Amino acid sequence: MENKQKLIEVQDLCKSFHKLEVLKHISTEFYKNEVVSIIGPSGGGKSTFLRCLNLLEKPTSGKILLDGVDICAKGQNVDLHRQKMGMVFQQFNLFNNMNVMKNLTVAPMRLRRMEKAAAEEKAMALLARVGLADRADAFPSQLSGGQKQRIAIVRALMMDPEVMLFDEPTSALDPEMVGEVLGVMKELAESGMTMIVVTHEMRFAREVSDRTLFLADGQIEEDKPSQALFSHPESPRLCSFLEKVL
Amino acid sequence: MKFFETIGKILARYPSFFVEGIGNTLVIAAFSVLLGTILGTLMAIMRMGKIAPLRWIAVGYIEFIRGTPLLVQLMFIFYGLPMIGVKIPDIAWIPNFSRFAAGVIAMSMNSCAYVAEIIRSGIQAVDPGQMEAARSVGFPSGMAMRLVVLPQAIKNILPALGNEFVTVIKESSIVSVIGIADLMFRTNDVIAATYKTLECLAVAAVIYFMMTFLSSRLISLAERKLSHGK
Repeated sequence: MENKQKLIEVQDLCKSFHKLEVLKHISTEFYKNEVVSIIGPSGGGKSTFLRCLNLLEKPTSGKILLDGVDICAKGQNVDLHRQKMGMVFQQFNLFNNMNVMKNLTVAPMRLRRMEKAAAEEKAMALLARVGLADRADAFPSQLSGGQKQRIAIVRALMMDPEVMLFDEPTSALDPEMVGEVLGVMKELAESGMTMIVVTHEMRFAREVSDRTLFLADGQIEEDKPSQALFSHPESPRLCSFLEKVL
Repeated sequence: MKFFETIGKILARYPSFFVEGIGNTLVIAAFSVLLGTILGTLMAIMRMGKIAPLRWIAVGYIEFIRGTPLLVQLMFIFYGLPMIGVKIPDIAWIPNFSRFAAGVIAMSMNSCAYVAEIIRSGIQAVDPGQMEAARSVGFPSGMAMRLVVLPQAIKNILPALGNEFVTVIKESSIVSVIGIADLMFRTNDVIAATYKTLECLAVAAVIYFMMTFLSSRLISLAERKLSHGK
């Protein structure tokens, strides 16, 4: 890729829960407009790695540079950095006490001082883009899983993030709803959004993402352009993993 | 029937006793609930906070208060503390202030431990994913708490808090042992004057029941109003 602009750089990242080492000296980078999938066996540290990127988990050691700034350093305003990183969760986590419109507008209005009318206009435009313009007044409890996840994606987009983090966005969905969410994500990828996606959807990883990381046992075992990784896996662990899931 | 006749006579002869008793019971309960809720909220914040020593104090206090009888706590404050020189001063224009204060202090110190646990469990019952999602869009923890977690926690907290209010009304009858003229105390006065133990206690029981029943109805009405917003 020509003139790749480094967005996130991870240096020697370690994370342990008590005695359990979950991430072992991970170093990698993510570039602007790049779509990266992270695959690997359960318990391998995929979600922990993603959650470390926006500091929902505090790394035990190592550095995470966002636009060249170490966000783990003391005195950094974590909340401001998080605004630049949209996060989509496996369990959707829409705010249950607010309707869809409130879910979408509360952050830009409270954190960016956006006018209500402007925020609602933006929300409606994004809702239309994911095909949910008619559900603006619904509460999360009235939505299906697929609808909730599409709203959750829109909620993250409302803050105009530089990168979107997806933590197994389709794993909690009924099979017939996986497609609608992947469709939104694919469209997002095509629009040039930088995305880091922890996923079990191998087809998505292979066809939509530019690069795929295979994370097992707290280490990056393989890191290659997606096509190459899936057609020519090298490490024996990746081979056996792909055999099981494909 | 003789029984109801006697009750009628008692009520006709000693209405001021019961009215005064009800008044004092309500005053004690209202102040205890108010103070207990304020202190309990502070205690819950300490209990869930990041500062370890404060957390230990809160846990120790809550466990101790919940593990000892209210009667002992009340006597400790009213009879025990003055022995080591801790006296609640009298205020001239409020009759019996030191007694009342001791009663309210004991009741609210007791209630606050329960309120703290009600608030803590109400907040912790909210899915941690809600807090995470709020933090992930960039809300500082205080704002995330105020905008997302607390509005959901309130729905868990209110019903249990309502029960606690009702409990306080009932339990407040214990302050009669330190000579506060609450409903129980005044009922004993009427018993002493009439020797009609059963009838007087029946009157007291019905009055207590009306107070607790009314307040629990009011509380569930408020709950329904609140949950309409959702």
